[in-house]
Amino acid sequence: MKKVFAFFMSVLFMLGALTGCQQSSGASPSANPSGASTSNAEKKEPVSLTIWYENDQKIGDALQQQLDKLPDVKVKVQRKDKMTDALKLVGNDPQSAPDLFFFAHDKTGLYAEMGILAPITDFISQDAFSDFIPMTLKAGTYKDTLYQLPIYFETQMFMYNKKLMSTPPKTTDDLLKFAQKNTKNGAYGFVEQHSTAYYAVSWMHAFGGYIIDKDAQPGLNLQGTVDSLKYHKPFIKYQPADGDYNTMTALFKEGKAASTINLPNLAVDAKQSGIDVGFAPLPVVNATGKPLSPYAGVQGVYVLKSSESGKKDAIAAVLQELAKPEAGIALSKITNDAPANNKAYADSFVSSNEIVMNLKGSADAVVPMPNVPAMDVMWSVTENMLSAVNKKDGDPKAEAEKAQKTALTQIADMK
Amino acid sequence: MNYRKKISLVFLNLFFILICLLCLIPILYALGVSLNSRNDLLSSSFSFIPKDFTFQNYRAVLFEKPFLLWLKNSLILSFSTVVIAIAVAVPGAYALSRKRFPGRKPILNLLILLNAFPSILSMFAVYRILKPMGLVNNFTGLVLIYIGTMAIFGLWNMKGYFDTIPLEIEEAGKIDGADDFRLIRDIVLPLARPSIIVTAVMILIYVWNEYIFAVTFITGSEKYTLAAGLYALQATDYTRNWPIFSAASLLVSIPVLIIFFCVQRYMTSGLTAGGVKG
Amino acid sequence: MKQNKLRPYLYLTPSLIVIGLIVVFPILYTGYISFTNMNIYHWFNPRFIGFDNYAKAFFVFDSGFLSALLRTVLWTFLNMVLQMAVAYLIAVLLNTEGLRAHKVYKTILMFPWAMPGYVSILLWKMGMFNNEYGLLNQWLRKLGLNGVRWLDGNVSAFLSCTLVNLWLALPFMIMIIDGALQSIDKAYYESATLDGAGFFVKLRNITVPLVRPIIAPAVVITVFTTFKQFDIVYLLTQQQGSKTGADIHTVITYTYEKAFVTNNYGYSSAISMIIFLLLIFFSLYTNKELREGNR
Repeated sequence: MKKVFAFFMSVLFMLGALTGCQQSSGASPSANPSGASTSNAEKKEPVSLTIWYENDQKIGDALQQQLDKLPDVKVKVQRKDKMTDALKLVGNDPQSAPDLFFFAHDKTGLYAEMGILAPITDFISQDAFSDFIPMTLKAGTYKDTLYQLPIYFETQMFMYNKKLMSTPPKTTDDLLKFAQKNTKNGAYGFVEQHSTAYYAVSWMHAFGGYIIDKDAQPGLNLQGTVDSLKYHKPFIKYQPADGDYNTMTALFKEGKAASTINLPNLAVDAKQSGIDVGFAPLPVVNATGKPLSPYAGVQGVYVLKSSESGKKDAIAAVLQELAKPEAGIALSKITNDAPANNKAYADSFVSSNEIVMNLKGSADAVVPMPNVPAMDVMWSVTENMLSAVNKKDGDPKAEAEKAQKTALTQIADMK
Repeated sequence: MNYRKKISLVFLNLFFILICLLCLIPILYALGVSLNSRNDLLSSSFSFIPKDFTFQNYRAVLFEKPFLLWLKNSLILSFSTVVIAIAVAVPGAYALSRKRFPGRKPILNLLILLNAFPSILSMFAVYRILKPMGLVNNFTGLVLIYIGTMAIFGLWNMKGYFDTIPLEIEEAGKIDGADDFRLIRDIVLPLARPSIIVTAVMILIYVWNEYIFAVTFITGSEKYTLAAGLYALQATDYTRNWPIFSAASLLVSIPVLIIFFCVQRYMTSGLTAGGVKG
Repeated sequence: MKQNKLRPYLYLTPSLIVIGLIVVFPILYTGYISFTNMNIYHWFNPRFIGFDNYAKAFFVFDSGFLSALLRTVLWTFLNMVLQMAVAYLIAVLLNTEGLRAHKVYKTILMFPWAMPGYVSILLWKMGMFNNEYGLLNQWLRKLGLNGVRWLDGNVSAFLSCTLVNLWLALPFMIMIIDGALQSIDKAYYESATLDGAGFFVKLRNITVPLVRPIIAPAVVITVFTTFKQFDIVYLLTQQQGSKTGADIHTVITYTYEKAFVTNNYGYSSAISMIIFLLLIFFSLYTNKELREGNR
């Protein structure tokens, strides 16, 4: 028995030692003062801040580089997978939670209601945003309080393969005609993620419908929403049934789809695959005279309430740095997305980027994703409705009514 | 007679080759994708033999990503979990199999019924319990989670096997004056080797593939395991690069298969491998 | 003497402690939360609200839930039967005397198990079942046939999920049965062969009865995991952004979509507890051995 116990203990000990090593080696870079900070070691210790993000590593690296310039603040930009879940766990725990985090704007309401966010305006005055695109500020405002410092935004755009499409259609009727004529032998005239809420919503908007409004009222059974479902249905016939991201983007990248509506990074990938990509404004719906208007996602920084009060100045410094046009420019170079700060467009790199300028041009027409907490349940309800109509030939009106009812129940269930 | 046996062995081998091929279709597919220099998991003309053959994707995974670091973490985590879990579960399984004590049956039944809990929401509770012990964001916490998750299986699985070992063998040992520890070490363990190996492999593979706890409780990719690292890559850059993702998935599974292949040697029981050493 | 009586408990203590922390505590905690109003509006300051969540939860158990429940029972039954039959056959054949390459076969058959589940499910979804590009449809087209929309129809999606589940679960079952086979004294077979018993007679009269008690716990645990299966059905047919339109919800995916997405933790906990009790009741009712206690 003693031996078992001794073995058990030694394993535990070894494990402790191993994790101990792991921790100390993890901590060493921050304990190691860099050359710059040794020289002014006489001054007060730099304040350490942690920022979490879940995007590509490159985006984190760019943020890090931007914030390394700050003199009295030591910022650690750290990637965190499953950040949404992690913030729900640790959001109010100063020991485990970061001080700030970088995220899309659509969870603003959720975190604000949970009570883990501090208003951005507690640290930086409203005047700092006078040069920002108004839409990007609207996106991160929940119940009249601004919680997100916007850095850049992205939205869907109409892109086409110049070899397969000479002039992009101005109207949706023309687009349908083009799809009819050019869809044959495994090639497609037009592809989109037709049964995904994020993509289908631009059709709803063009008909005056929507998924949910800013007062958390779902609009799935509105006349406009139902009309968009009816009008859009014939488009499905000329597209692959899957309608998922991978199929649709692969078709466009392989030069088998003449046109598509998607996010900027597809344009970048397609160009790399040798496709001559053209961009055009989203087509106008003939019946209403309104163009398709997609959701926009604004990426930016939030401050957590749990961050210690002694760090206020440091946080303000970080926010000021990120509000500068340089931050938006640096990130735009990586993501090909549009900076939130208007001044960034004075930069020649930004203004010469066709994709970015197209995004910027659509900034007034796009709709920021709703940031109310109820949006969380709408994605799946809306998609069930879309796939029932598009893939199982369900009746638009009936499916819309059913979906609206489910949505209302689930929103009630949130409380 | 001997001739007939040979014929049937040939058929048996053919049967297994067919089964293995069927089982490998998705994996060969991933292999084909990973050896192709063009980014086309989705391609209208797939062939298992890539048209533009390249090892570039494997090189990219091995050297451009912290793959070897993750491999090290995976090995440390899974071996510590396996060793501790077996050390914890063997005495427990022995007690449940050999001893009769009040509460034994309720414990056994309760352990089985605990599996009925849908654990989608367990993350919070586990966090609540690890946090005060300071076990968030380190390996010890993960090891504890993994042992706890696999302990029921370990207890039950080994208990079932211990039950089949004839009591008489142990009785002889007891007469010689051996205590429980020596009985387990000298008699039960050698005889129950297959079930211990099975249990150990189960735990190993579970830890190897687990990513949800690893990703949620660990911050910082330098502490990731292979499964967690693969998850992180999948969530960002790999979604747009199938060949690299396929290469990474295959590379993640290779170490486990090697371990499994090596460990099979010990899968035979001391009982059937001829007699018991006193 | 007294020490002797305490000894079994002493041996069990370490196991029971870790199980208590990682398995039992979450259940108790979920039970506790199910009586509070822990939702996003009271995330860090929940209040005790009695049985309100349970009252609300009963609305989830509508006709949709009932059909999901029936489907889940069918799913569990079908999968277990297939798994057991195929795994038995393969494991027994693997132990055929004279099969030199059995280690290689066994290792290859373990492959599906050796990668994280979401990876292989993704591989099946994108590589095999995709309507446009999937290998299965590419083969069908080469044969001059039309592609099948594998994951769109209810029946074909159900069967596709079953296939994937079989593929993923077989290695485990083969391994368990293979391990159990090692305990059988070869002498039994030898005397049976002398008596002129054939393969299936031996399987029925020797292998199955001797192996059954050893694999029973693993099988029962697998029944529970199959019943609670989430990843396969969800990722193949219900994933956000690529719902296929097939309605093959199991109990867990159904309640996930109905309740867990609401971020209402108290409410979801109540549903978890009800499913837990339902499953316990179900298993006690169907499993005589559990009801009467094991030997």
